[in-house]
Amino acid sequence: MLAVALRRLLWIPPVLLVTSVAVFVLPRLLGGEVTRSVVRARSASSTPDPATEERLERELGLDRPVATQYLDWLVGAVRGDLGTSFTTRSPVGPEILAAAGVSLVLAALALTIALAVGVPLGALAAGRPDGTADRATRWGGAVALAVPEFVLGPVLVLVVAVGAGWLPALGWGSPQEAVLPVLTLAVWPAALVARLVRAETAEVLGHPSVRTAQAKGLSPRRTLLVHVVPRALTSVVAGAGPFLGGTLGGAVVVEVVFAVPGLGRSLAEAVGDRDLPVIQAGLVLVVAVALLAALVTELAQMAADPRLRP
Amino acid sequence: MSYVLRSLVVAVSLLLLAGCSTSATDATDATDAPDEQGIRVALQFPPRAAYAFDADDGALLTKLGVAEPLVGLDPQGNPVPGLATSWAREGDGRTWRFALRDGVVFHDGARLDSAAVVTALNWVLSRPSPPRSIADLGMRVAADGPGAVRVSTDAPDPVLPLRLSSGTTSVLSPAAYAAGAQPSPQDTGTGPLRMTEIRGTQGATLRRHDAYWGPPAASSQVTVDYVTEPQTRELALRSGDVGFTEGLPETSRASLQGDPDVRFSEYPSARTVLLQLNGSAAPFDDVRVRRAVTAALDRNVLADQVLGGSAAPAADLFGPAVPYGATTAPPAADVPAARALLAEAGYGPQNALRVRLWTFPNRPELPVLASAIAAQLQPAGIAVDITLGDYAAQEPELLAGRFDMFINSRSYLSDFPDPAGVLDSDYTCDGSYNIDRYCSSAFDASVAGLGAVEDPVQRAEVFRAAAATLTADAVNVPLVHPQNTAAERGVTGFTPDPLDLRPVLPTLAPAPVE
Repeated sequence: MLAVALRRLLWIPPVLLVTSVAVFVLPRLLGGEVTRSVVRARSASSTPDPATEERLERELGLDRPVATQYLDWLVGAVRGDLGTSFTTRSPVGPEILAAAGVSLVLAALALTIALAVGVPLGALAAGRPDGTADRATRWGGAVALAVPEFVLGPVLVLVVAVGAGWLPALGWGSPQEAVLPVLTLAVWPAALVARLVRAETAEVLGHPSVRTAQAKGLSPRRTLLVHVVPRALTSVVAGAGPFLGGTLGGAVVVEVVFAVPGLGRSLAEAVGDRDLPVIQAGLVLVVAVALLAALVTELAQMAADPRLRP
Repeated sequence: MSYVLRSLVVAVSLLLLAGCSTSATDATDATDAPDEQGIRVALQFPPRAAYAFDADDGALLTKLGVAEPLVGLDPQGNPVPGLATSWAREGDGRTWRFALRDGVVFHDGARLDSAAVVTALNWVLSRPSPPRSIADLGMRVAADGPGAVRVSTDAPDPVLPLRLSSGTTSVLSPAAYAAGAQPSPQDTGTGPLRMTEIRGTQGATLRRHDAYWGPPAASSQVTVDYVTEPQTRELALRSGDVGFTEGLPETSRASLQGDPDVRFSEYPSARTVLLQLNGSAAPFDDVRVRRAVTAALDRNVLADQVLGGSAAPAADLFGPAVPYGATTAPPAADVPAARALLAEAGYGPQNALRVRLWTFPNRPELPVLASAIAAQLQPAGIAVDITLGDYAAQEPELLAGRFDMFINSRSYLSDFPDPAGVLDSDYTCDGSYNIDRYCSSAFDASVAGLGAVEDPVQRAEVFRAAAATLTADAVNVPLVHPQNTAAERGVTGFTPDPLDLRPVLPTLAPAPVE
């Protein structure tokens, strides 16, 4: 396992290097003049002015050849300097890390809740196929998977914050403020986890080793908890890494609906403003976290299932 | 199972607490309960450039009541004393002398003098892209003793005091500029509220400036949240999280108006949604076709039915937000007249007119209007292909004249309450934002003549005449003037400002408990 981990870790730098080229080039293909977009981001009613844009181009360093811009950025990034935001003119590193920290907490809490709810529900449903719990999990899961976050978020706010007055409707910074965005983000993966665990558990229940355990007199509950559920979690573990990586930069809807200052919202605004340093740093960070999450996931799968070990 | 469930609930709660206490350290006291006198508000537009004065954020600081320019504005948009108490034109008219107010104290305790004003104005003038209100004038600022400054421009400027009412020309304490970097408004302004905490684009905390020279802020503390999503702002107001918000969704108008706990305000904005027509190429280089489009559209229906009354129908470029705006409703659609004009221009059943209509979705009303316009033009014999796109990618095409029709939303007052700049950039032959590609030497001369008109009444006449000329020439079709909205719940003191240039937060206070 250690060899696998080392091999995977060695792959990360070249993948990030290729990613860095892609994220440097792609925003420049979005169309529209970068300097004009930056001027407009700073001042919405500004009209085009070539002299101003030329001055700004020099200020932003966009008058240099693209290869020079990339190499300067890469050298800076290796040294920990991710550049300066075109719109806020603040260092990108602290901005992105603060936003990523918020998104990571949001994603980790959502994933935790999804596992805490989805695994028992899936196991319960598989324990008695077509029973009440199974039907309830199936139908509930179908609804949860079908309702998009931009509907679920406001509905939760309307019921819990506006109607009952139990929790705040917006913000980020206290446990109470975190509950609704985390729940909104957790519902979909919880439903997915429940379905996966139900399907896997049903399959593992038919395995000879499980029948042997039952024949040895293990109680159904103990058989389920000790022999079945851990093996049924393989696919759930496989999905957890991508979820964490994807949510880090992709929870835009939840972040916008609940005014959470996360990375997804920052990246969406940066794309609109053509704030290239923020886009570049944010995307590289998202890819780096996704790669690390994938590695951790793979190792966890190997730990859970010896057959996957080399 | 109940034990398992209880354990799960406890574990999840602990995780939530643990996770959020980490982030709470970064967010400092963002969610501290306001003190008894404090209020919390949700504003629509966050700072885009870390409160930089060479960005729209300068105007935001004025709205917050944190920073102040030399000149203030009355509700009609006329200049009134601000940090300067009086001003007068000198000599050849290129220089204005501003006498500074005595006893103004910055939030950090420094006193306002001419050196502070010179430092502040020179800083913003030295930016690569200075604010529109003072750009390209050759502006120079010099101290005239400790209590006055002289501001000169290359050419006589009759509206210089109005230009210096722009929030982008606000004056911060000299300490803010000492480091040479972008000045921070934290504890450096002069306004009735001092910014004690900045939480990026998430919010800010303001406290009353006890040494303020004018009427004190009505609330001892204002917690500001920047919330870009309209529905979230509305729900935050309804839940009581915030006591004031603005820019409410059109769909919530009726319910908010009917809520006895909410005071809902609807007022004009200095903005026009325009159907811009490419006058440099067929078919819209023919004024008869442009007039046909104008005749075929029913702007009253667009405002009242399509947009549900969240906008006023536009008869002219300027609307009810300004004294020279049109006060009459636009005419109803006249489809036979439109057909006749098209026939005169050579279009009809044998030579049907098909045009492209572009717009962008950043303002949600624009795509809705695009569909309605396509439907209204169809009976007149004009087929429309709608394309929604990214404005940044569309703009170069628009300015190069490679389009047919474009729905744009345009503020006709930018940083200060005078539309001469917009008339110049949008409608003169060399205008840098002349999307309609309109060119009339008579119109150019009348705009150029504004350089010599100081009297506000005379300027208003020129603006009125300019708008009438644009309407007569069917340069574009002013469709609607969007209405601004705001709502208070448990808070009082909001005064609607159609110009969107005056302080808003200093007058807000917790409503008295009945």
